[in-house]
Amino acid sequence: MARRAIWNTDQPEEASPPRITHLDRDRALVAAARIDPARFEALYRKYLAQVYSYAYYELGDHHDAEDATERTFVAALTSLHRFVERARPEDGQGASTFRVWLFRIARNVVADRQRARYRRPEEQLETAAALADGAADPAAQVARRDEASAAWRAIERLPGDRRRAIILRFVDEMSTSEIAGVLGRSEGAVRVLIHRALRSVARDLDEGSR
Amino acid sequence: MTAGATRDGGEIEALVTDRYLESLLALGLEAPPRNSTAGSIVDRLQPQVRLASERLAREAPRYHPSFRFEERVALRLAEIAASMRVREAAGAEGTVVPIGLPHDGTADPDDLLFDGPLDDRPDRVRPLLIGGALTSAALSLAGAAFAVWWRTRPGTPMARAVRAVGRGRLA
Repeated sequence: MARRAIWNTDQPEEASPPRITHLDRDRALVAAARIDPARFEALYRKYLAQVYSYAYYELGDHHDAEDATERTFVAALTSLHRFVERARPEDGQGASTFRVWLFRIARNVVADRQRARYRRPEEQLETAAALADGAADPAAQVARRDEASAAWRAIERLPGDRRRAIILRFVDEMSTSEIAGVLGRSEGAVRVLIHRALRSVARDLDEGSR
Repeated sequence: MTAGATRDGGEIEALVTDRYLESLLALGLEAPPRNSTAGSIVDRLQPQVRLASERLAREAPRYHPSFRFEERVALRLAEIAASMRVREAAGAEGTVVPIGLPHDGTADPDDLLFDGPLDDRPDRVRPLLIGGALTSAALSLAGAAFAVWWRTRPGTPMARAVRAVGRGRLA
């Protein structure tokens, strides 16, 4: 996944800084959606599974993940005029700043959902009722167990940004620079977050196997 | 060992892990050749970190929502897009704010577009001005202010006389 930036080398290096010729692979789709909002559908279809997966790993519930996914795309469509491409050379060829922007919205939407769960005790009761229903449905229990491997159950126990960084790295296959953009942190900080998260997971797996 | 040396050591380990993940996710789960750059990275990587990385890479399915959900949201986005086109054609200003989603504490676009670390994100529900219309939270504030003004305004001589009679009856 080594990504390199493509530079326009038409001009001598000393005359002016090199110009980035292509960084955001979604540039054409975004431009089309800005002219005609109906064309946003192409971006929606392209990133639906990625956003949904992120929401599902974060929220652990298909219904909540659907709600967060819908909010994310609606917010992205209605705020598309505010999206500014901020690609940097180190983001490399094929890096999508639209994808970073979209996932930043998803991160905020999911965080709101998590805060709402914390704030509303009645919702916890609903969740408890849903869990009780699930307990009566062995098939649902088996499906849930199958979905969450031991490694991913260890991820669920990680604190906020460590967990998010791992999901974005392994599930959405983002580069370190993209994750840094989504989380609003430096690349160095993201590398350390992921390294520490992997060490925690390794410890959990080791203890689980004893 | 100094704190600086420990920090540098941690950053170097994190960098090695990052390089390994780049090759792992690019190559799939194939082991890199021993004499390659990726192979030399594996030699420097902590074994337990390598095993955890391989398990996560192997056991990280990407989920897809139901077809029904996908089409329902596509239809909703198309409706919003159509309303945006109508507004643009009419030369209207302001932001299209979709309604119908369950309230979860915030609908402020600024909150959803926040780009700093989540820890720095304001945790609040703000009254929101949308295209010249007030939300219910702001309306209740405006309503309270109007009621206070209505009760305390000087008014016409006739209105003052009516209020004086009313106060006299209450007394």
